[in-house]
Amino acid sequence: MSRVKELQKSLFAGTTSNARQFGMIFTLVAIVLLFQILTDGLTLNSSNLISLVSQYSYILILAIGMLMVIVAGHIDLSVGSVAAVVGIIVAKVMQEYDLAWPLAIVLGLLVGAVIGAWQGFWVAYVGVPAFIVTLAGMLLFRGMNQYIGSANTIPVPEGFREIGAGFLPEVGPDTGYNNPTLLLGLLVCVAVVIREWRARRTRREMAAEVWPMWISVIRVVVPLIVIVFATLRFAGGRVGTSFPISGIILGVLVVIYSFITRNTAGGRHIYAVGGNARAAELSGVKLKRVNFLVMLNMSVLAALAGMIFVARSAASGPQDGLNWELDAIAAVFIGGAAVSGGLGTISGSIVGGLVMAVLNNGLQLMGVGIDRVQMIKGLVLLLAVALDVYNKNRGHFSIIGSLMRPFRRAAPAATTTPIESGQEPAKTPVAG
Amino acid sequence: MRKYLARGVAAGAIALLALTACSERSGSSGGDSADSGKGFPADALIGVALPAKTSENWVLAGDLFVNGLKEAGFQSDVQYAGASSTVSDQQNQIQAMVTKGAKVIVIGATDASQLSTQVKAAKDAGAYVIAYDRLIKNTPDVDYYVAYDNFKVGQLQGQALLDGMKAKKPNGPYTIELFSGSPDDNNSAVFFDGAMSVLKPEIDKGTVVVGSGQTDIKQTAIEGWKAENAQRRMDSLLTSTYSTGKTLDGVLSPNDTLARAIITSVKGAGKPLPVVTGQDSEVESVKSIMAGEQYSTINKDTRNLVKQTIQMIKDLQQGKEPEVNDTTSYNNGVKVVPAYLLPPQIVTKANAAEAYANDPILAPLTK
Amino acid sequence: MSDAPVLLEMRGITKEFPGVKALSDVNLVVRKGEIHAIAGENGAGKSTLMKVLSGVYPYGSYTGQIIYQGAECRFSDIRASEQAGIVIIHQELALVPGMSITENIFLGNEPGRGGVIDWKAANRQALELLARVGLQEDPDTLIKDIGVGKQQLVEIAKAFAKNVKLLILDEPTAALNETDSQHLLDLLRGFKQRGVTSIIISHKLNEIAQIADSITILRDGRTIETLDVKADGVDEDRIVRGMVGRELHSRFPDHTPTIGEVFFEVRDWTVRHPISPDRLVAKGSSFTVRRGEIVGFAGLMGAGRTELAMSLFGRSYGTYVSGQIIKDGKEIVLRSVSDAIRHGLAYVSEDRKSLGLNLLDDIKTSIVSAKLAKVSRRGVVDPVAEHRAAEGYRTSLRIKTPTVDEGVGKLSGGNQQKVVLAKWMFTDPDLLILDEPTRGIDVGAKYEIYGIIQQLADQGKGVIVISSELPELIGLCDRIYTVFEGTITGCVERRDADPERLMKQMTSAKKA
Repeated sequence: MSRVKELQKSLFAGTTSNARQFGMIFTLVAIVLLFQILTDGLTLNSSNLISLVSQYSYILILAIGMLMVIVAGHIDLSVGSVAAVVGIIVAKVMQEYDLAWPLAIVLGLLVGAVIGAWQGFWVAYVGVPAFIVTLAGMLLFRGMNQYIGSANTIPVPEGFREIGAGFLPEVGPDTGYNNPTLLLGLLVCVAVVIREWRARRTRREMAAEVWPMWISVIRVVVPLIVIVFATLRFAGGRVGTSFPISGIILGVLVVIYSFITRNTAGGRHIYAVGGNARAAELSGVKLKRVNFLVMLNMSVLAALAGMIFVARSAASGPQDGLNWELDAIAAVFIGGAAVSGGLGTISGSIVGGLVMAVLNNGLQLMGVGIDRVQMIKGLVLLLAVALDVYNKNRGHFSIIGSLMRPFRRAAPAATTTPIESGQEPAKTPVAG
Repeated sequence: MRKYLARGVAAGAIALLALTACSERSGSSGGDSADSGKGFPADALIGVALPAKTSENWVLAGDLFVNGLKEAGFQSDVQYAGASSTVSDQQNQIQAMVTKGAKVIVIGATDASQLSTQVKAAKDAGAYVIAYDRLIKNTPDVDYYVAYDNFKVGQLQGQALLDGMKAKKPNGPYTIELFSGSPDDNNSAVFFDGAMSVLKPEIDKGTVVVGSGQTDIKQTAIEGWKAENAQRRMDSLLTSTYSTGKTLDGVLSPNDTLARAIITSVKGAGKPLPVVTGQDSEVESVKSIMAGEQYSTINKDTRNLVKQTIQMIKDLQQGKEPEVNDTTSYNNGVKVVPAYLLPPQIVTKANAAEAYANDPILAPLTK
Repeated sequence: MSDAPVLLEMRGITKEFPGVKALSDVNLVVRKGEIHAIAGENGAGKSTLMKVLSGVYPYGSYTGQIIYQGAECRFSDIRASEQAGIVIIHQELALVPGMSITENIFLGNEPGRGGVIDWKAANRQALELLARVGLQEDPDTLIKDIGVGKQQLVEIAKAFAKNVKLLILDEPTAALNETDSQHLLDLLRGFKQRGVTSIIISHKLNEIAQIADSITILRDGRTIETLDVKADGVDEDRIVRGMVGRELHSRFPDHTPTIGEVFFEVRDWTVRHPISPDRLVAKGSSFTVRRGEIVGFAGLMGAGRTELAMSLFGRSYGTYVSGQIIKDGKEIVLRSVSDAIRHGLAYVSEDRKSLGLNLLDDIKTSIVSAKLAKVSRRGVVDPVAEHRAAEGYRTSLRIKTPTVDEGVGKLSGGNQQKVVLAKWMFTDPDLLILDEPTRGIDVGAKYEIYGIIQQLADQGKGVIVISSELPELIGLCDRIYTVFEGTITGCVERRDADPERLMKQMTSAKKA
């Protein structure tokens, strides 16, 4: 195995599908650096990073749910409308009934769950395609938002705004930085080290070959550099600002859902249903329940995203959530999920969402009008997925794969690949 | 291999320290420069965030800001919200202007209630915030408000509607329909209330009748100021109320875009054209007025409004207190925002040539 | 035969995929009017060779020459090769289910002018073509309403519509039952007499030996030899020797069964068809399985064997009407697949790609997928336990793969089948139902699969094997039930089993 391939494989802990993310991360870094130069350093400036996170955290939260929906072979077009209706309900109960904001959040999540159960019921138990159910939901809940709010904008109280616009408190000694953010960064650093150590231990327990130490060092040091850098940036913004609370909510959700999709039986079932529903059913997977829960979960996350947006905007309005579904879907597909389901990762979708976010933000910093920003985003989506499709058809798995082709010549021909590797595995008859 | 690695890590660490050495905390302690009297450099960046390009007026305002700020020696960043996700676009654009270090941010809000976080960020970064044409609500962080007197606009519209109908048909009762602007635009209600302050007494007297009976602002509102929504509402009004031969004498329309949509709808139904009011002096509507279709519009010369705004920016730059002429009327829910109000002017076919004499685009149309 | 003029010659064909040489200097000579078989194990390069010939891999993507009718051909795509009269019929049929026979025959080749289809002419021609392939069916019938055998014939008719000179059939009988296969082979003989040349790729060596004039054998992307069937006196063993490069002494491993008492019994099992409820797919079927026993189910395609098996497996098929399942002396009720798995049943589907595997998964995920609880604690999968389990099967079943992290989609048919077997062995079943366990698998892998089945039986499990290949059932099973139209028509012990007797019971409703 060549160095490059070894690195590529073990940097992302395992299988080839993860290698696609390598390309995505590479693209993200390239875009960040590009804009860092084009905007004279504004892109990686503290206040910009902080606003970038709070601007896109709700879209990325949607992308988490959308990834699972798409992996299960469905789509959800209603997320923006669900977010809007939950937002207006929460704003209204706080305004008219003086409901305490923590209770309002719980109520919002419950409303999301009820809506999700409604959509899940039609998708899973009646068998109406999710596209139709959620298209209907898009209209239904958009209308409901305007009906409940009389198409007015309703403000929300200060406490509630924390989840969307809030920052960590300034505590402890004056270090010139926001101390809780520093602590948070430290925790993440420790987590990265522990994770790598546990990955090595797991490999050893599997009695499989453990990658060489130098790879582990890279796998730890590179993220650490990024994390330390980011931490100092986030902690070093204006006094009173820190890593945004909405970003922390996002981070916690990413960790939880990555774990669920990767390491639990339930997560496996989502991939199984999306990859081959009938085979999953014949393996004892409860198809209907999986579909129901996936749709339910999406709406709960949409409710959360809606509330975060309302908190950030300090008010719930009739235009909330417009076109969010498209942003979330784009993030998932740029992140390498398959249109037909069964493939995709949470981290990929987050990276995909970040690519769009950095692009949007960088262009805005350059003063490019929203019209041209939209054109560029559209082309990026198309190209990212097209490149993926192209590479897959040619038997290469990733953008990085094609970038690194010149280096491969030095490597001995891969002995692991069976004859059919040049063809699309799913469609080629096995005879040969 | 290890040797290289060690060197690489060391180099990376040094680069990292170099990059992060510049914490923004040491620079500004936040919020101080917003205190008046200090001023800022004469070539500072001025941000202008406008709503989506749904009306000619916003496009014109944007162009005027670009040119005007340049003439005044400022750098400018003029942005429009996208047509689809307007609110979040505008939020992000304002945030980007803050990041770029704009000293004054002029905001024509898409949703006046959903910007308080961004306005606060601007304030915290030491920028002045001027609400342009639409008052930003529920925040203590707006410094000034510049607009035409919108209640007055409504009054003029109401009066024009009555005058126009009287000119066509000397005696009442007159049958009319009411339209109002987007419910998320703070001004919609002000226009409507102004117009109703003129029309209500007539309605109570019975000389003016609202054919459909829809007089509540919730019924008359046109979502997003969109022409298609106005046309749709007019279509259904014509079907529900005027298909049996009742004649429609007048329509109160809050602006030109909606006025033209209403006229299109009436024409489509093959009915005689009613008296239709408007606002904004859009090119197509001025043409329509000269052709005798739309009855009136309001001349709120965008040039004057932009000129006034830039004047305020210049004053702020020099550390002077900008001139305001109303410090009592505009309470945004948290504070009373000092405002400079410009007087609007009603324009009909009769006075168009005179009203637009100084306008290079509109003047030729009135000849 | 060998004096007939050469129709096609492929010279020194080499085709590379990134990192793999799929074909290496392959030569093929096909004479006019003959039936030429291409034999080889999975992955030997048969399909790749045919794709080169038919232009799927265009000129320039391979090296070597194709000389057809005396001139060199450089096909840029399938259309180009079809214009030259070379038509390939793939294993997976290229028919549109919702369209009629006529529409399918002329799809992409519609008679008429300026895009307007002349349906009268089309139907007339369709009737002629159907007569040529011996299919009596209304040309307006939709494809989905006719069986696989007839669909195959429609494909051939479609080939004739394109004026075929060289017909290539890739595994034409893989999905067909005995009768339909025989009919198809007869048809090929008829074509030969009318001067059509055919190339046939098949795993069924008996068919090749029976029908082919010459056989070219490929192994590992190379031409091994070309046999003249009549002159060389070729039989199946001879072909196998060429394919695997060694002598296979027996098609089945030696095995002495140790059979225990009856532990699984089905009584009076009756199931309705899911769409037309007045049709019964299983009519009062009763049977027993003993520990350590391999029980065969023989029947023609559509006899209801698969449907019976699936309906037992947690009611995965049809509507349950009546019947009992008794296991270890107690009646069990299986309402769902997870019930069935919990009670120790396993069902390996005949269609491993669409029902058995998620082709996007890797090997280890596939293997543990039917009983994740075994490698997880409180719903969280333990990667070490998972890896260990998968590694265990990789070694014991000899799954040919460097690691269990590879995708199953990349494996050959035989190895995929082993993964499916591993997946169900992992559920610790007492009764395994194997539906066509060796379909589309080459000789060497078949032998291994038989060995695995026998091992399972020796562990005291009951194994039910459903197969359309009678020799397989006779060679493998201790007892064989025959099924005809949803009814079990008889039970034959191994020592009494012979093809004629089974065939008789499989084709008549009379109980033996």
